[in-house]
Order: sequence, then C-alpha cells, then structure tokens
Amino acid sequence: MKEIPLQTEVKPAKRLKAASLAKTRKRSDYFWAYLMIAPTMLGLAIFYLWPIIQNFYFSFTEWGSFGQYEWTGLDNYKRMLEDATLLQSFKNTGIYIIFTVPIGIFLSIIIAVLLNQNIKGKSVYRTLYFLPVITMPAAIAMVWKWLYNADYGLLNYLLSLIGIKGPQWVTDPHIALYSVIAVAIWSGIGYNMVIFLSGLQGIPKMYYEAAEIDGAGPVTVFFKITLPLLSPVIFFVTIMSLIGAFQVFDLIFMMIGKGSTALESTQSIVYLFYQHAFVLNDKGYAAAIAVLLLIVILIITAIQMVLQKKWVHYD
Amino acid sequence: MRKWLIMLLTVVLGLLGLAGCSDSDKASSDAKDGKVEITYGIWDKKQLPAIEDIIKLFNEKHPNIKVKTEITPYGQYFQKLETAATGGALPDVLWMNGAHVTQYAEGKVILPLSDMAKKDNYSLDNYPKSLIDLYTVDGKVYGIPKDYDTIGFWYNKKIFDDAGVAYPDETWDWTKLKETAKQLTNKDKGVWGFASTIANQEGYYNFIWQNGGYVISKDGKKAGFDDPKTVEALKFYTSFIKEGLSPTQAQMTETAASELFSSGKVAMMLDGPWMVPEYKKNPDLNVTVLPKGETRATAIHGLSNVIAANTKHKDAAWKFVQFLGSKEAAEIYAKTGTVIPAFNGAQDTWVKSVPSLNLQAFIDASEYSVPLPNAKSTGEIWQYEVDILKKAWSQEESIEDAAKELTKKANEALSK
Amino acid sequence: MQRTKQLVTSKTFLIHFILIVGAVAMVLPFLWMILTSLKTYQESIHVPPVFIPEEFQWGNYKEVFGLLPFFKFMYNTVIITLLRTVGQLFLCSLAAYAFARIEFPGRNVLFLLALTVLMVPGQVFLLPQYMIMVKLGWLNTLSAVVVPGLFSAFGTFLLRQFFMGLPKELEEAARLDGCNHFQIYWKIMLPLAKPGLIALGIFTTLWSWNELMWPMIVNSSPESMTLSVGLSSLQGQYLTNYPILMAGSFLAILPMLILFIFLQRQFIEGIAVTGGK
Repeated sequence: MKEIPLQTEVKPAKRLKAASLAKTRKRSDYFWAYLMIAPTMLGLAIFYLWPIIQNFYFSFTEWGSFGQYEWTGLDNYKRMLEDATLLQSFKNTGIYIIFTVPIGIFLSIIIAVLLNQNIKGKSVYRTLYFLPVITMPAAIAMVWKWLYNADYGLLNYLLSLIGIKGPQWVTDPHIALYSVIAVAIWSGIGYNMVIFLSGLQGIPKMYYEAAEIDGAGPVTVFFKITLPLLSPVIFFVTIMSLIGAFQVFDLIFMMIGKGSTALESTQSIVYLFYQHAFVLNDKGYAAAIAVLLLIVILIITAIQMVLQKKWVHYD
Repeated sequence: MRKWLIMLLTVVLGLLGLAGCSDSDKASSDAKDGKVEITYGIWDKKQLPAIEDIIKLFNEKHPNIKVKTEITPYGQYFQKLETAATGGALPDVLWMNGAHVTQYAEGKVILPLSDMAKKDNYSLDNYPKSLIDLYTVDGKVYGIPKDYDTIGFWYNKKIFDDAGVAYPDETWDWTKLKETAKQLTNKDKGVWGFASTIANQEGYYNFIWQNGGYVISKDGKKAGFDDPKTVEALKFYTSFIKEGLSPTQAQMTETAASELFSSGKVAMMLDGPWMVPEYKKNPDLNVTVLPKGETRATAIHGLSNVIAANTKHKDAAWKFVQFLGSKEAAEIYAKTGTVIPAFNGAQDTWVKSVPSLNLQAFIDASEYSVPLPNAKSTGEIWQYEVDILKKAWSQEESIEDAAKELTKKANEALSK
Repeated sequence: MQRTKQLVTSKTFLIHFILIVGAVAMVLPFLWMILTSLKTYQESIHVPPVFIPEEFQWGNYKEVFGLLPFFKFMYNTVIITLLRTVGQLFLCSLAAYAFARIEFPGRNVLFLLALTVLMVPGQVFLLPQYMIMVKLGWLNTLSAVVVPGLFSAFGTFLLRQFFMGLPKELEEAARLDGCNHFQIYWKIMLPLAKPGLIALGIFTTLWSWNELMWPMIVNSSPESMTLSVGLSSLQGQYLTNYPILMAGSFLAILPMLILFIFLQRQFIEGIAVTGGK
C-alpha cells in the first residue's frame, strides 16, 4: 500500500530513476518481509521469548496458595545445593541418557544398514519398525507397564518358560530405570533408523564398489566407509537424541508414577520440575530447576559442537 | 495486493480469533434462552450413575439449570483444583474433603454458605454434627455434607470356605487377624491372607487409633507418627508384608490391592463403603466391622459439596448444592448403595440397598469412629505420608526411621 | 561360484533373521495390547496367561466410551492437531520465506531470536506460558493448546533451509512479471517446498497428537482433554485394570495408525527430511 505514493514521488532526473526504483523496491521488500514474519515473530515473542524472561524472574520467587508469590532472591538456588532429590534426578537422567542415546543410535544404524541391503520385504520391515514412532508415549508406557507386570505380565511368563524368575521390572528401584530405558530405546529405533537410512542412501555407490575391488569384508566396509560417511547424520541424531533424552517425562510419569517404590530412583529432572510446578505448587523452585536444565543442556550442546570436529567428516 | 493483504490478515486474525470462542459461545448461549450451565467437579466415577439420577430429578424442579459433571481421578483431583483455582476456573460446585477445606476456605476460593443457608432457612441440623464441624472454618460453614464413610473389614467367603476357616465377626482382634491371615495365605495358588495397603483412611490410621496412638494432636500443632503407640501399630500393620501374608508394596503398586481382592487373590482387607458398587459384583465378598485392638476404632470422614468463589452462577450453584444435600438426593444415593448418605435417617435405606452385603457394619462402626484430621496442612502431610512411608512399606527403611522423618516433615508443615 | 551363492543366501538369511527378531519385538506389544483389551479381568491376570480370550469382551471398549467421553477426546485431539498443523505450515512457511529470500534490516537478529526458542528446553517457558493461559482465561479451552502451538521456531528454521536451497532465478523472473512477494511465495515457492511442508506437517501432526504434559496442565476438564491426557486419566480411574486400559490405549492410537497406513511413504520420507537436510 505504501509504495504507491512513493512511486509518484519519483521524478525527472533519469539517472536517479534506477536508483530510486531500487530504493522503492527495497521499501516494498521490507514491508513484505516484516508482514510475513510478523505473525510468527509475535507469537514466538508472546508465548516463548517473553516466558523465558519471566521464568528467570519466577526462579527468584516463592509461591503460596492459589497463585500468590513473593521475591526471595537466591533462595531457590541455594536450596538446590542441598537438595538430594534433585541430585538424584540428575543422576537418573544421566544414566537414562548414557544408555538410551548410544544404544539407540547403535541399534538403529545396524537396522538401517541391514535394510539398505538388497533384500526382499524392505518396506514391510520399515513399516513395522516405524510403528512405535507414531504411537503416543502414554499408550506405549501403559502397554509396557503391563508387559512388565511382575506377577501377571507376559515378559516374566516368557522368562519363566526358560526357567528364569523375572524381576519386578517397574517397581524394583534397582531395575525400574533400566526398564524405562529399554522402552525408550524400543520406541526410538524407528525414528532414527529412517533418518540413517536416508543418510545411507546418500552415500555414493562408488565407494562400496571400490571397497569390493580391494576385497574388503563387510565389517571393514562398515567401519571404514559407512560410519565415516554417515558421521554428519550421526552427529545430528546424537544432538537431537541428547536434547530429547534430557527432557524425558511421559514414560516415567505413566510407567512409574507417584506411589511407586521406584520413583526416587527413576524420576527425571523434568519429572521433578513437573512435581514442583504442578503437584507441590512450588513454582518458584520449579522455575529454578528449569533454568538449571537450560544451562546444562547448553553446556552439553557446546561440548558436542567442539568434540564434533574430531569425529565428524564433512565432504 | 490489497486483496492479498486483506486475505492474509483475515486468516491470521481468524486463527488467533479462535482463541476465546469457546468461552464466549458458552456465555452467550446461556444468556439467550435463560438457561444456565453449571459444572460439578467430582472424582469417583462409581458414583456417577447415582449423580446422574440426582441431576435428572433436580432438572424436574429446575429445568433451566443444566449440570455437567467433570470427573478427575482422586490422585490428580486436588492438584487440578489448585491449578484451576489459580486461574479462577474451578467447577461451580465441587467435592471437598476435610483435609483441604481449611486451605481453600482461607484462600477464599470457595464460598461460605452459612449466610445463604440462614437466608433460605436451610437447616444444617439434618447432618451429623461432626461432619458440619469438619467443614466449619472460622465459624462459617463452607460445605454441605454429602456422605460419610467409616471403614469396613472386607473378606472373601470362598477363600475362607476353601480353607475351612470361620468368617470374621465382631469378636475378632489383632491376634485373630494375624492367625487367620496365616491360615489363608497360599503361595501355590497365589493367594494372600491380607493386604496391608499404604492407604491411611482405609488402612493404617485405623490401626493407629485402635492402638491408642495419634496422627495429629488435637490442637493441630504436633504430628504423632513417632508416638510409640503409633509406631507399634504401623509395625503390626506392615508385619503382614514382612511375613509374606500380604502382597508386597511393589506388587500392590503393579496390581492394585482392590483388584487382587475382588478377583480372589487376597482374602481380607480394609476398605470403605465407596467400594460397595465394585465389590457387590462379586458374590463371594462380604464385609464386617474391623477387628479390635486395644480399643475399637475406625476412621470416619465425609465429603461435602462446596461452591467455588469464581462461579458466575452463584444462585444456580447454591440451588444445586441444596438439592444435593436434600433428603431426596440422599435417598437416591442410599438406594443405589453408592455411599452412606449424610442426611440423618437416610442410612437405613442405604443398608437395605445391597442385601447380599452386611452394610450395617459401616453404620455400627460410626459409634466408635475417629474423624480424620483437618488441620490446614493436612493435604500437604498426606503427600509426605506416601513419599516417606512407602520406604518402610517396601522394607527399605525401618518403621522407626520413616516415622521420625515423617514427623519432622509434618511438624514443619503444621508450624507454617 | 556355488560357494559365493551359498554365502549370499546365508548372508541374506542372517539379515532376515535379525530383522524378523527385531520386527517381532516391535509388533508384539501391540498384539498383546489388542489381545488384553478383549479379555475379562480374570483372564488377564490368569497364570499361565490366556492368549486368546474365550469370548471377546467388546464390553471393555464400551466401558471406556461409557465412563470417559472418549469421542470428545478424539474430537479435541483431531481439532487441535489439524489447527496446529495447518497454522504452522502457513505461518512458518511465510516467515521462512521472508527470512530466506528477502533482505531486510534486522533479519539476522530476528532470526537469531527465533533460534533461541529452538535451543531452550520446553520446561523453561512452561510455567510462564501457563500463567499467561490463566490470565487470558484459556484454561480448559482448546485454544490453550492450539494457539501457542501455531508458532514454531523449529518449523521456521526447517522451511528456511528449504527456501534457501531454491535457485534465485525463479523469483527474478516472477518479479519482472510484477509479482509481489506474497504472490511469489504462494505461487512459486510453496509448491517447490512441498517436501519440506510435508515433513513439517507430519512432524507437527505426530507431536500434537502425542503430547502429554502441556495439555495435561492446561486442560483438566474432560470437555477439553486430549487423548493422551484421557489415557492418563483412565489410568487414574482404573489403576491396574489392564483390559480396560488396553482398550483405551488401542482406541487412542487407532486414528494415527490408520493415517499412517494410508500415508506411509509421506510419514517416513517426512521424518527423513526433518533429520537429514
């Protein structure tokens, strides 16, 4: 709309005309650009950016009943230093990450490599492995909790057939976390597999042909060719899995739950955040936990960025 | 270009505009035909059929007030209420328990009803005085009692018959309970004699009071979990788990005790009258009074209906609450055998509602019943009870240590 | 010759063997879910397990529908998913086009701001977002889930990458024809960015369908609950009554399952795009 009057202002001097035309065009560019980014930027500002700032503020407050709060300075952060439960939840999350990320990536690479071979029924396999990806975590958690049931679950029955007395998968504090980890890996394989598969298909055939001529075995080919050429994808998946694993909540919320004996040894940082924010109504402390989580994720991502130079090969 | 711009703006605004639409729709439809819709927040789905009948009857008198029920499972109920109260989004009428009423009344998120009752000549004498007291905060009544519940001793007749053991009766005491649990436990069949659930009202509180212990002192200032009598009672109650006579805490987490009981895997357990609709489905089950300890005692508690301060339809809500507390509503509750109605005199109908069960046991028990605590921090203390006691239940920690830790936490909460 | 052939077949056999073992592990839980959902409670806790129920208990499904407004949950989830997906596709591609193809003052700063959102874990804005919903009076409305979900830093970022990869000549030609930016975006760029749009669409659909924490916090009344939240509420009501819980679970995943069966290729390619490029 604005450009129309502007255009009429463009006057005689012919040499200037081109320049001012470009200028008008620029004005119109700006107008369109701002208009086009406006909805998203406004939405992000209102619902995401402003809340980030507010969360920092909340982390210095203490909350009472029904939404009243007061400034308490660094109290929440001081409290963190002595909070054994918080420390435990970091430990739990750490264990969860250490197992789910590498094992999940390893298994999905294997499956992807196998599916990249010249075999029949590829698309059927691909579909089946992808099933957990489209299933909601709440349902996944529920069916696994049932499979894991110590007395009446299918898993312990199958184990009993080969003479093993199965453990209490989700209530034994020493085991429950690993049971959750297994489910997380199970449900994540399909997703990563698809990404790796498309990465594998991007590797030029000539590398493999060359290797074949050199007489390299499949294991050598995997380590010398496939892995290095896949490393940018592996890096990307690692970062995404790490961030995702840091925020595990659904599985623990649905599989373990409040009254369980295994809660302390399984609750993740985000579970603890949820507890403080929405169950115990300890919102200030919850905000502080969120800040801590942010800092930890930023540090880990930064470390990854530095380390990647050592092992990721870009063409 | 202008055309594009307009279209763009319409789309963007349209997308943003859907925001408030559900609210404004509701409000405007209310106004149009003089109809009012109020919401009723409850947690027990088993009472829903009775409540639907009551609403139907209510609508015969007040066709213009539509009532919509909202069920939230008990485990999340108060957490959701807290959230909703913060946002001024409480259901218009809702269930309240004794543990939370003080907090909600002092937080001014529920309305005092005394004045409205006085104005409408609504008598509060129709309910047991202990229940009215439970919902009185600073001299004002905040809730109209709806029901009450004492705790019963449930058992599975078939398991008793199979083992050739006589059914429990009012002569039973703790020793007899232990002895019978031993007789009925059958590892091969996967049957346990008793279930030591980690519940307080329908579990260890009863044993604590029977043993002369206490939970929170009368003045509401001190927690009594580490009282020797209390500790002794907790020890007795959990000894069943220790001796293999009850499913372990882990097992009861994986498969709820009430389900183990109703499917014939547990022979005896404590539970409230709210389980009648569920347990009456299995003809093998029956109920009697609790075995006695040093004295006879059972927990008593009753729910009430309260009105949210954020309600936009105060009159309609009050009419509904009055009706919920009326004799007619109580009769419906009684007939369906759902809960023991609080309205004096309606209890007999309730007892007769399920002839196969000895429901009189619940009424008899009210004679020696002890009310649940209602100090302001009770809700908070209940959170700690689960967190801390479960460690003792699962044998990770001794009862003494857990009791000490719990007392410390509870005292902190009480001193707030 | 004979030997290599044998080697090849035994290799193929091994591959199939591994893949089948894995596939069984993937499918078994779903089968068990369906079988359990058709059992009586007694059958479900029978030792040894009853595999095929004596009589299919369709009543379990009826019970799920009877006690929770499951159709309502389904409706809510579909509406939320649809609005969020369509909204994000439109708004993100619009912003992404501008960020990728138009030069304007503050472009980098603004884009960096958007990226900040991408870097920050969701929990950091959850509490204040919740307080905003409280202030707007949006608790227990679909808007509480839909509106914040219309804006996505991830989507903007993903589509920007797409637009950046398209050749410059395309729009030069269009500009000479007198098209404005919106027309270029709508007529030329969007069709070319289809793989990216499909990817974002699939991603957002899956995310909105499955999300648990946010809808659970803002929508506690059954009127506005989503399927995920409905399931957690079902678990609260039925504790460990697995036949009912499994029936509910199966109902909750069924619509997405059907969609997946029809749009398999798009799902898988879409996910590959979000990860790969």
